[in-house]
Amino acid sequence: MNGDFLALLPKPPPPVALGPGSPPVPVSATTVFAFHYAGGVIMAGDHRATAGNVVFSDRTEKILELDHHSLMAIAGSPGTAIEMARTLQTTFEFYRRSQLQPMSLPAKMRALSRLLRENIPATLQGFGLVAPIFVGLDAVTGRPSIYFYDPLGAEFEAAAYAGSGSGSGSIKSVLHFLEKWGVPKPGEMTLAQGVALANRLLMTAAEFDTATGGVDPAQNDFATIKILNSRGVRSISVAEQAAFWREATP
Amino acid sequence: MTTDEPYRWLEAIANRREYIRDQLKGGTPVFAFSRPEGVLLFGIGSGQSKIFEIYDRHGLAALGHPVDIEKIRQTVIEAAHLEGFNRAPEDVTLRRLLNFSLGTALKTSFDQIFSAPLMVECIFAEVGATQAQDALVRVSFDGTHRIAGQGVAVAHIDSINETAAATWLREQVKPEMSLSQVIVHAHAAWRALIADKAFAPVLGNTTVDDELAAAGRVVECALLDRKITRGSRYRALTAPEMP
Repeated sequence: MNGDFLALLPKPPPPVALGPGSPPVPVSATTVFAFHYAGGVIMAGDHRATAGNVVFSDRTEKILELDHHSLMAIAGSPGTAIEMARTLQTTFEFYRRSQLQPMSLPAKMRALSRLLRENIPATLQGFGLVAPIFVGLDAVTGRPSIYFYDPLGAEFEAAAYAGSGSGSGSIKSVLHFLEKWGVPKPGEMTLAQGVALANRLLMTAAEFDTATGGVDPAQNDFATIKILNSRGVRSISVAEQAAFWREATP
Repeated sequence: MTTDEPYRWLEAIANRREYIRDQLKGGTPVFAFSRPEGVLLFGIGSGQSKIFEIYDRHGLAALGHPVDIEKIRQTVIEAAHLEGFNRAPEDVTLRRLLNFSLGTALKTSFDQIFSAPLMVECIFAEVGATQAQDALVRVSFDGTHRIAGQGVAVAHIDSINETAAATWLREQVKPEMSLSQVIVHAHAAWRALIADKAFAPVLGNTTVDDELAAAGRVVECALLDRKITRGSRYRALTAPEMP
């Protein structure tokens, strides 16, 4: 009766050992990121899933709403990452309903750490690697915070931004530059400016990383973008992104 | 006493039923209504909640011992979440939860005559895409359950008065009424059942708050909202939605 949904599940069998002679299993690449804007946090990602040099899908949802007050961006092996997100969604809801109160932000963060730790055997064997970004709302302060994780479950709070996936390097460089010398800085941007920036960042990442699917505003093709603020999670629709894009690029 | 003789076992079960009904006497009734807006759950508590969310489309209204209500609530929440996780939220149905999970647990508990019984009477509700797909199920402490027809379910300690209240509400509550008006009628039925008096027509702009607040009671209303099409449909009604 402690609200722990994972305790209800049977323990999963250990992953099959591939052995030293086994070929490496390709992991999917991606680009997801989150940054603070004036009104909260913007989390965005591309739609592409790859296996080696093969484009597996160009319609992958990587920004997942765990509950009304938390988001997770998945990078790494989609099978493992999506299952982690589904497990967390049920874990948070189970706790809220059974304990008649929402799970705290620190407990949510630790729940994700726990899943990553349980995934260490698969990670060490070269498959099932997941490096997510988590955004959650603090119930006391009403402020959203950004956390990023290493594949072994260590969590780190990002002061301004976080990125994950093969295309995140160039995005983090741009965000660092803008935080230092931008006018306005991302943290001072309006929602419209932040959404336009997120799309530009993905276009930049796609320029240097083949595993990142770009966006094409001319074709009404935009990123997946969700925001989190004191009112909770909200998806930014394609129509809204198009309007923000036109506003930003007159 | 030994229970290896059938008549002694029957006597023990009859005594147990009588004991549970006696223990439930302090309980106050709960109500559920299938409405165009969704399923409305209504109860009036004094410190302990009587209305609960179970799963995406499911709610519970219960009276009885708080610890026993809690046991039942946890049992069904666990079963629902496991089913929703292992299959899909659409596979979590009231019929399966009651037939294969709760019904068995309640019946087994009731038949264990040397252990403490579960003292609870309750209504489980499931909201559908349309009103015709809603399900209101009246569940008793011994595991028996029946579908409540015509969009009204009442759970009370006395089965005769419970049936009378349900009949009266089916006559009084019209399809075109607002949720607020339905709540006023539920409150009127609640008062009649508590006072063991005849059901009186609801007149004018009745409110449910003042007198109850003075008595330290809290009106609990929740809606399994039909407009919400994914995730949790359950929401507690806010002050502007209450009469």
